[in-house]
Amino acid sequence: MGVIEVKRLVQDFGSDRVLKGIDLTVEEGEIFGLIGPSGAGKSTLMRVLTGYLPPSEGEVKVFDRAPATFNADDRRLLGFMPQGFVLYESLSVRQNLNFVAGLYGLKLLRRIRRVREVLEFVELWDDRRKTAAKISGGMQRRLQLAAAIVHEPRLIFVDEPTANLDPILRRKFWEEFELLRDAGRTIFVTTQYVSEAEQCDRVGLLSDGRLIATGTPAELRRKAFEGETIELVLGGDPGHIGEKLAALENVGHVVEVREENGDNGDEDKVSRARLVVDDADVALPKVFEALNGADVRSADLLNPSFDEVFFRLVQNG
Amino acid sequence: MWLLRVKAVAGKELWALLRQPQLLLLLLVGPVLIMVAFALSFQLENVKPRAVVVVEPGSDGEEIFERFKRRFTIRTRFQGTVASLEKADRMLKNDETDAVIVIPPNPSESVLQGEQAVLEVRYDTINPIFGTTVPNRSNGLILDLNESIVREGVARELQDADTARQAVSDLNRQLERVNQAAEDLASPEAQAATEELDSTLKELEETLELLELAESDDGEEDVSRALEQTRETRELLDEFQAAQEEGGEAIEDRTGITELENQLSLLEQTVSGVPSGVSARVLVNPFRLKLENLAPFTPEAVGFYAPATLALLIQHIAFSLASLAIVRERLSGAYEFFEVSPLGPGELLAGKFLTYTGLIFGVNLAVAGVLAGALQIPIRGGLVKLGVAMMLLTLASLAAGFLVSTLSRSRLQAIQISMLAFIASGFFAGFLFPLDELRQPAQSLSYFLPATYGIRALQDVMIRGQWPATSDFLGFVVIFVISLVAARLLMGRKKV
Repeated sequence: MGVIEVKRLVQDFGSDRVLKGIDLTVEEGEIFGLIGPSGAGKSTLMRVLTGYLPPSEGEVKVFDRAPATFNADDRRLLGFMPQGFVLYESLSVRQNLNFVAGLYGLKLLRRIRRVREVLEFVELWDDRRKTAAKISGGMQRRLQLAAAIVHEPRLIFVDEPTANLDPILRRKFWEEFELLRDAGRTIFVTTQYVSEAEQCDRVGLLSDGRLIATGTPAELRRKAFEGETIELVLGGDPGHIGEKLAALENVGHVVEVREENGDNGDEDKVSRARLVVDDADVALPKVFEALNGADVRSADLLNPSFDEVFFRLVQNG
Repeated sequence: MWLLRVKAVAGKELWALLRQPQLLLLLLVGPVLIMVAFALSFQLENVKPRAVVVVEPGSDGEEIFERFKRRFTIRTRFQGTVASLEKADRMLKNDETDAVIVIPPNPSESVLQGEQAVLEVRYDTINPIFGTTVPNRSNGLILDLNESIVREGVARELQDADTARQAVSDLNRQLERVNQAAEDLASPEAQAATEELDSTLKELEETLELLELAESDDGEEDVSRALEQTRETRELLDEFQAAQEEGGEAIEDRTGITELENQLSLLEQTVSGVPSGVSARVLVNPFRLKLENLAPFTPEAVGFYAPATLALLIQHIAFSLASLAIVRERLSGAYEFFEVSPLGPGELLAGKFLTYTGLIFGVNLAVAGVLAGALQIPIRGGLVKLGVAMMLLTLASLAAGFLVSTLSRSRLQAIQISMLAFIASGFFAGFLFPLDELRQPAQSLSYFLPATYGIRALQDVMIRGQWPATSDFLGFVVIFVISLVAARLLMGRKKV
């Protein structure tokens, strides 16, 4: 059984249906990324999972209990990093973290130890005396992350942690998530940066209140393109190439053929073809067999961007 | 474990407040400055309006003014006399004076014609409450002036009455003598004596007429009877005079001498019943007012207003802080963070309550200390009673503020409501006007304001030196419990 189990979840705000029958399982010790455009319902789903909102319909279980009925002990299992900075600008970095540690009932000695550990983890120990108003937006986010993990929760909800951050800081956040995952934590993270799906162990694609796909990044790629894509670059007479490509239909499905001029103009023309196969490792030997005698310049496994994957999955419905 | 969470919230609130020195300074110094400014600026002496008197030089009015100058000027800051009404009106318009007293040039003439003389007082104010100073003082002036004039007249006439009494007695004796020799009654000496008697009786009649005007209801009967008998006596004397002119035989023919004699005896008896040896002041004002205030202590104006001002300040500070407390957390997103954490709504409220109560209580105790020490404001009930009253007011105000905070959708709304509560307290909590003078539903509205109970409770403690009334204790408790329960329920409601 997963840490999070969601069945046929529907969430209404008045007459507005925001979540439309979500089924989802998140396993312990993984980074689960919920990806979708702004307004897709990511934050609402997270609010239901944290117990802030009771579900309108369906069944939601976190640690095998309905989050809306969580008691204080259950809540100690959760960490939550909201989208914005919600701590106190007038307090210092350490005072803010002390306060949150107090909310989770950490006693004095453990609190002192954990506050230091966590501030060192998010690299804010040297800035501990600064007020939150005096640190940068990126540091505030890291402070907010520290607040989410100071009590060593088993499951951490992270809402849009990297929004509006520069790529270096974003990278830094994902490294921290991986470290937490490696320490046995489960991380449920929402993001609108589709490319960040690569950082997750498993991904759920949310569009217009519907979870249109879940799986590992590779599984989603395969699902988007109905298999793996091999890109071939062939030289020589196009007519001859056409024959060879037809022979490839026995191995996979040719989805695109494009002629390109080489470096020496017409004399060095090449054909670029994309072949979708079930499993590239299995298909590649067969491809070379089918292209026997052809001028194969290269044959690479294509890794389409997750933007493209997301676009295709949304299109496929 | 819940205690740790409450402590965490209380500690956070305390640090957040301590990190705002301007706010603390404002909390501590603001009320003190307001009270000091109030104490220094409030003085009853200056309540007397400035006044000029318009009077025509050399007129009968000027003579009246000079005769009763003290009466005209005692209730005002007298600025002098002017001859022109236009000039006085200009002064009024330019705010160089507050009242213009216009004395008519010939007041006596009006009175002799049977009309009241008009003393006009002109003023220019738009304040219907405190703008009554001039009219009130004008009423006092006219009463005082009328009384002075009547008293002066009565004093003079009382002297005349004594003379008349003596004259009646003399005449009676004379008549006794002449009755024995009727022929002498026609002599020139007797006629001169009769004329003198008539003149005396005329004076007596005038005196009695005035006394009848001035007498109280109880003494009126004697004077009226004496007046009636004086008039009858004069009529008989007229007949007697006519007989005197006709000669001794005519007097003999008449039996009126005996009648006149009897009438004079009767008059003598009655006139002796008319007050004598009584001062004009007693006759004009038979009743004197004696006021007795059973309150144990009557403070100065500042001492009276200080408890009410302190109550308003406590309510306002507590209400403002609390009304922002929850709405701020909700709008910043912190509330959602708390909802995911083990912190319950009750623990959040309790933590905030602890810090705010301590802070407000401490600040206001310091303010009370400054009031007592520097401004000599009395705290007759002592610090324990004052502390209890202030604590109750603080708790009730905080609870009401928290309720407003849970209902407010924005900080602006919370601030507006706390400002409205402050203004409403000024009008409806007994600060400006006594509650008894309010009509419904305003009086009922006052029951919802902690300041209503706070003002009374602090006045009881600081001025009367006693514990607040049970009804005020109950008022605090009811507001505290209802507001807090409602706030807690509203905080726990579903967010859908």
